[in-house]
Amino acid sequence: MSCKGYKMTRRAMIGATGATVLGLSVRDLIAYAGSSHAPTAEHVILFWNGGGMSHVDTWDPKPGRPVQGDLEPINTTVPGIQISEIFPQVAQQMEHAALIRSIAGTQGDHGRATYNLQTSYLPGPNLRHPGFGSVVAHELDQKGDLPTYVSISGQAPRAGYLGQKCEAYYVSAPGDKDPYLAFPEGIAEVRGNRRLEVLEKYNKKFASKNDDPRLSATQTSIDDAVRLMRSPALEAFELQKVPSETLDRYGDTAFGRGALLARRLVENGVRFVQVNRGGFDTHSNNFPAMQAHGDVMDPALASLIQDLKDRGMLDKTLIMMVSEFGRTPRINDNAGRDHWAAVFSCFMAGGGIKGGQVIGSSDEDAMRPQDRPVEVADLHATLCHALGINHEKEVMTPLQRPMKLVDGGSPVMELFG
Amino acid sequence: MRKIERFLAVTVLAMTGVLTSQGALAAPVDGVLASENADLGVEQAPAAAISDLAFLRRASVDLVGRIPTNQEIDEYLAWDKAARRGKLVEKLVDSDRFADRWTIFFGDMLRIRSGATGGSALLAYVHNALKNDMPYNELAHKLIVTNGKANFTPEVGFVLGDNADPFALASVTSQVFMGIRIGCAQCHDHPFDVWTREDFYGLAAYFGKTRRQQSNFTNAVYTTEANDSVVMWPPLDDLQAEDRSQMKPRFPFETIAAADSPEFIKRFDKIVAAKAKAESKTDDGPNIDDLLAKSDDKVKKTTSNSGLDELGVESQAKKDIRSIDVKAALYKHSEWRNQLADSVTSPRNRYFARNIVNRLWKELIGRGFVEPIDDFRADNLPTHEKTMDFLAEEFVATGFDFRSLVKTIALSDVYQRGHAPNGIDAIDREVLESSFLALPMRRMLSEALFDSIVTAGHLFEAKHTAGRNEKTISVAVRVPLKPEGDDESVKVVGDGEDLANIVTGEKPEMKKPEMVAAGYQLEQAIELNFDELLTKKEDDLKLEAMQIKSAEELEAERMMVMERETRPGMRYRTEYVDRIIDDNPRFTSSMRMAAPAPAGHFIRVFGQTSREELGELRQQEPSMRQALMMLNGSLTDHASRVGDLEPMYALVAGDKASVDAAVTLAYREILTRDVTAEELETAKEVVGAASDLESGISDLRWVLLNCNEFRFLP
Repeated sequence: MSCKGYKMTRRAMIGATGATVLGLSVRDLIAYAGSSHAPTAEHVILFWNGGGMSHVDTWDPKPGRPVQGDLEPINTTVPGIQISEIFPQVAQQMEHAALIRSIAGTQGDHGRATYNLQTSYLPGPNLRHPGFGSVVAHELDQKGDLPTYVSISGQAPRAGYLGQKCEAYYVSAPGDKDPYLAFPEGIAEVRGNRRLEVLEKYNKKFASKNDDPRLSATQTSIDDAVRLMRSPALEAFELQKVPSETLDRYGDTAFGRGALLARRLVENGVRFVQVNRGGFDTHSNNFPAMQAHGDVMDPALASLIQDLKDRGMLDKTLIMMVSEFGRTPRINDNAGRDHWAAVFSCFMAGGGIKGGQVIGSSDEDAMRPQDRPVEVADLHATLCHALGINHEKEVMTPLQRPMKLVDGGSPVMELFG
Repeated sequence: MRKIERFLAVTVLAMTGVLTSQGALAAPVDGVLASENADLGVEQAPAAAISDLAFLRRASVDLVGRIPTNQEIDEYLAWDKAARRGKLVEKLVDSDRFADRWTIFFGDMLRIRSGATGGSALLAYVHNALKNDMPYNELAHKLIVTNGKANFTPEVGFVLGDNADPFALASVTSQVFMGIRIGCAQCHDHPFDVWTREDFYGLAAYFGKTRRQQSNFTNAVYTTEANDSVVMWPPLDDLQAEDRSQMKPRFPFETIAAADSPEFIKRFDKIVAAKAKAESKTDDGPNIDDLLAKSDDKVKKTTSNSGLDELGVESQAKKDIRSIDVKAALYKHSEWRNQLADSVTSPRNRYFARNIVNRLWKELIGRGFVEPIDDFRADNLPTHEKTMDFLAEEFVATGFDFRSLVKTIALSDVYQRGHAPNGIDAIDREVLESSFLALPMRRMLSEALFDSIVTAGHLFEAKHTAGRNEKTISVAVRVPLKPEGDDESVKVVGDGEDLANIVTGEKPEMKKPEMVAAGYQLEQAIELNFDELLTKKEDDLKLEAMQIKSAEELEAERMMVMERETRPGMRYRTEYVDRIIDDNPRFTSSMRMAAPAPAGHFIRVFGQTSREELGELRQQEPSMRQALMMLNGSLTDHASRVGDLEPMYALVAGDKASVDAAVTLAYREILTRDVTAEELETAKEVVGAASDLESGISDLRWVLLNCNEFRFLP
């Protein structure tokens, strides 16, 4: 477990009847239920496509039906599996990938559906559930110096009751230098290090006069920061030195750089990387918009799979691309598609997933699940299964309310072959 | 108007002995607390009072959200020792920054989000209410009751913040204004408490006729009343029930019976009567505003003319005459919510005053009488009910004067207590802190921390002579790749992203940030213009349409931008070009910035919540991100550097340079105290290790700004 105990909870304080309980953090107050199992993956790269990505125009084409619209299906390297023409390069990697075409969502509102897909729970009063990355940060050991959970290009779900330590480390613009990881400009290494030494001395002095437990955690956070600043693994964040041929292969877009950065981060031990992209809420002019999305996403996703494969990392890295819901198969008067949660798809590859298969299906017009409906919580249970996390485990919230890591659901075992 | 209210409040306080003679600060609340502690069998002695300078620092940060300047320290020390603390509190509560700082408190409590419909106007409205001493009961009443148009009737931002959803508003109203979590009873009878689903539905019913509407023509969002309520009983999931009918609104909480008239309610009634009388006396004859108000009380309730300065009143009133019929028809007044607001804000509803007293006590003392602060219930009783009720009753009796309440607590002995002594064991510490005999360490509020660094670093104004700090920075630009580009010239598509715009959408009222080095936007505070937000532009439909765009429209615009950036087949490469900037930034106060700040912003990293979840409180835990931001951020860097326009410069350069004087000033400016002899020696070693005095002092300042003593209150 990697969420270190910075936290001195009030409840632990108040509830203390003896000194033994004092100093325990939330994660130490976990109630275990059941046991874990052998993981099939060590890392997850989650592509979060916000806005509700059309399933018909990506992973679940319906050739010959009026709902198909302007974009044609194409063949992939796996006989019998077709995907949209916006993914010509991904089609060449299909033997490594699996599709779920029968996710049965229940929420058609962006906010509620996003919350649901990212946490497995529905939003309710008084409690914020953690996003999946935070669950991973809470459950798995940190590997190496880099943070356990990194979110690229935008907002990731928050840690909720798991606390600040399980929040994502944000990278707002992949490839840009993160100024916070080095001393300010003009402060040489020697001078910066001297400042740090003096700071530690001053904080120690202060703590010797005030032994309040709230103080020591600050120094721990500084130590963690300094370890990160000094880590050779930081180079993973710097895309400037990447050969331009590589960047061009991924596409020098925020998404392409995000995918490339994600690869470099998992290679350096990061457990969970979320790469965010928006603009899928295609109420009008759906087809050119989806084509444009494809132009950006296709080279990045395909190159990522290929590179991980070449480096022997694909087996332990689970890639997933999902959105909060799909879009209406019916094309509206503005050549757009509206919100559709009743059925939609997701893309998965690597991390112990058996490639070249499709789980479940939607009906002939992609309106409802036909075979093997998959619930939203099943996706979370599946990720937990891959990482060796017991999805039924209960964790105590700061107000001592027991919460399961995943809101029910069970892993889609067929994926693992 | 404001003066009269303040005068009355102060007079009543003085009469009841809350304000005692200068110097002797022991307030009646301390007596009540002492006797209650005695009743509880607490025998420990309180921690010693903090020093005068520590008090200056604590009170300044708590009451106005920043540390004092060196000049303010001098001024304070020049005051008569016996009177200085009282005088300081007076000065602070009368300061302009008081409203700024407490807007943060109310913004958190009311979950005001600038990005929500009508949110920025509501933020400005609350700021204005604090500035003008609107009694707290009046403010709460207006928020609960008002229907109107987003941004034009600022109060309606409260109801629109939860999309006028009756169930959400039932939870919010009870939890935010009364500290009662009845929301759990929406789905089931409350597991820990007495509230039933029927109670919850009865409360929700008050909001049942309220509707959120959006004009097809202007896109303006407003609320109004329908004839029918949407809150039906029994609930939909009760499959046994076949007949459902509209739930009758019912206030489920116990109040003081009308037959009883405790002393504090008599005093409250007296204040209300006196205020009414004073107002009528100051009239110079009927003005157009009064005529309007008296002509039709019902209509008056639908219009809002608060938040205007004296000059604005008349023109606003004339405007109101023109539009009043339209308004009355469009934004119907809610009778039911008016009843609810009456019940909630009544002096007879003890929860209403207790809630705010408990929240404020937590803010200033470090822990509430009831914890968590919004969870009053039968099996979670206050630790010190008498003390809490004493303050709550005084608050009611002063006519819900928030400023006086802050002052009362700040002047008490308990507020001036130190932390638990060093070496004490955990259980004794807990006893001391839970009995308010010693106060827990508190980290500054994120906004106060930000503003304190700005203050210590002289960054509210430019501190370098223009041009003295020119610097070359690298800016990312996107260049189309050759094969697709049809001309050779380099097209600059955009340089960097403006985070504030991405997260909240472009706001016309936002000032553009000054040019900063790439990546440091997370430390910029972009101020909202509160006055402008409250200026009504009734006729400017165009602007209105711009301000209130539907989610779909915004999305369409975003897609257009995206399409432009990523035309099919068009490839770009990011390149870095050098630009020269005068690196002489001024930072504005974080108190007035759009809230919540974007994720990852300094203010968020240090604890500001998203203000979405009900009951989500600021966290005090440190994190690695906080450390990185303080160690390597531009704010601490700029604050550490010595500018030639600040007093420190003369002490590090030129013939008056003196390391002793410079270290002394650094300690004062940053830690609000004098350096000890031992510390001076250590500091001189630190300074001496640098290449020159100026960089040595800037090293020392960096250390002092980063150390725990800076961010934790004395």
